[in-house]
Amino acid sequence: MSMVARHDFEPKLLGFLCNWCCYAGADLAGVSRLEYPPNIRVIRVMCSAKVDPTHVMKALLNGVDGVFIGGCHIGDCHYARGNFYARRRVIMLKKVLEIMGIEPERLRLEWVSASEGVIFAEVMKDFAQAIKKLGPNPMKSRR
Amino acid sequence: MKNYSKVIQDIARAMLRAGLVDEVVAFGQDSAASGITPLFITDEQDVEKISTVSYYPCSLARLVARYGDKNKRTGMIVRPCDARAMVELAKRRQVNLDNFYIIGIECYGVIRTGTRREEIYIFPAEMEIDGELKPLDEEILSPNCRRCEYPIPTMADVSVRIEADGSSSVTANTEKGKEVLTAAGISSQGPPSDVTAMKERAARWQEKDFGQLREMNPDERRKYWLDQFDKCIKCYGCRDACPLCYCTACSLCPEESLVQGGEVPPETLFHITRLMHVGDSCCNCGHCEAACPTGIPLSLLYHMLYKELGTVFGYESGVDVNSLPPVSTIDEEDLTKMGVDIG
Repeated sequence: MSMVARHDFEPKLLGFLCNWCCYAGADLAGVSRLEYPPNIRVIRVMCSAKVDPTHVMKALLNGVDGVFIGGCHIGDCHYARGNFYARRRVIMLKKVLEIMGIEPERLRLEWVSASEGVIFAEVMKDFAQAIKKLGPNPMKSRR
Repeated sequence: MKNYSKVIQDIARAMLRAGLVDEVVAFGQDSAASGITPLFITDEQDVEKISTVSYYPCSLARLVARYGDKNKRTGMIVRPCDARAMVELAKRRQVNLDNFYIIGIECYGVIRTGTRREEIYIFPAEMEIDGELKPLDEEILSPNCRRCEYPIPTMADVSVRIEADGSSSVTANTEKGKEVLTAAGISSQGPPSDVTAMKERAARWQEKDFGQLREMNPDERRKYWLDQFDKCIKCYGCRDACPLCYCTACSLCPEESLVQGGEVPPETLFHITRLMHVGDSCCNCGHCEAACPTGIPLSLLYHMLYKELGTVFGYESGVDVNSLPPVSTIDEEDLTKMGVDIG
């Protein structure tokens, strides 16, 4: 990958946002007119535990540059314990990515509550920045 | 030639005679012409066919979970990896361990079937090929067996140790195990086996096999696995051999719309899906790798993830029926941790 390509690189990010916290947080960021990089494509899910590890891997193996999973803070899950499961799955996914030789940083899990519009915008900025630094997903050239 | 299988045959006969079990599932030679195959034995006379020769063509745990009669009480003559698979299947409500009498054979490795036809027995430091005792050559063992840390089936009801001189010792691990030994008229005996040498061997081979991959940089590692997966002919052999792949509706089937159908080699997700479904509880039996016609080192992949997850979750698969698979459960400690990582 040449330096020029890396410079112009706009990452394509996929977000799985929990309906009750992170999605509402993203909504708040929107209605508050907060600015954040437009790289993320959002899929609303009912709970962060609804995110199937195979879907995350399918996205990353097919060339998405980064996957973001947003859930409620610990203790705030609408379904009481969903985010605990999501957390364990992400730990496993990061190990799988490491074994496969894909940077584990391409997957990020964050807790964002419905009132944290500012934090959502911050997280998006930070994630887009981090992925830009990493460069395009190496799996992209396979397809 | 010493009859290494005698003690196992005696136990199987006693279980059938005492009515503890309706049938015994074991490996054996049905006729002189056939190889080692799984046998479902209901007649006492047939126990003579049971063999403890060091081949392990398929997983008996998978056979009983998928095809076994749920109403029958079954005795199983298995190696530790299958005893562990039974425990894992019981956690997943696929078998009810109350219906099983599991007789575990202490195992120091097996040979892949299809590579050799000799009658071979493996002991901690020796091997007997066609009646001739030699020092053990670790290279001939199945690669997953070289990395195995579980030579003693402590999770089985009875564990049987067979020595290179033909003698044997038997230990009951559970109440059911004691019933079996009472029925067979054998007293629990012998000092516990020393597993330090075996653990040392496992650590050495794990270091070698995993170290090779860990030393690679991410690009090399990715290339390595993608090249391996490109050999895949999508025969589903790994899935069909795996004792833990019990689902009847499998996500890998094209109708599930997860993996694109009609493609050979299948997309990388094919292997990664299976890795994520069974990797946290892989009992390193190696049947996936043995079943693979194109020689993808699958057990290396699954065992490596299992070991990596072990450092985070501290989970040992197939040892305790009450500890649940780490990726599909949460524990008390999780509840106190607030961050996105629990490491």
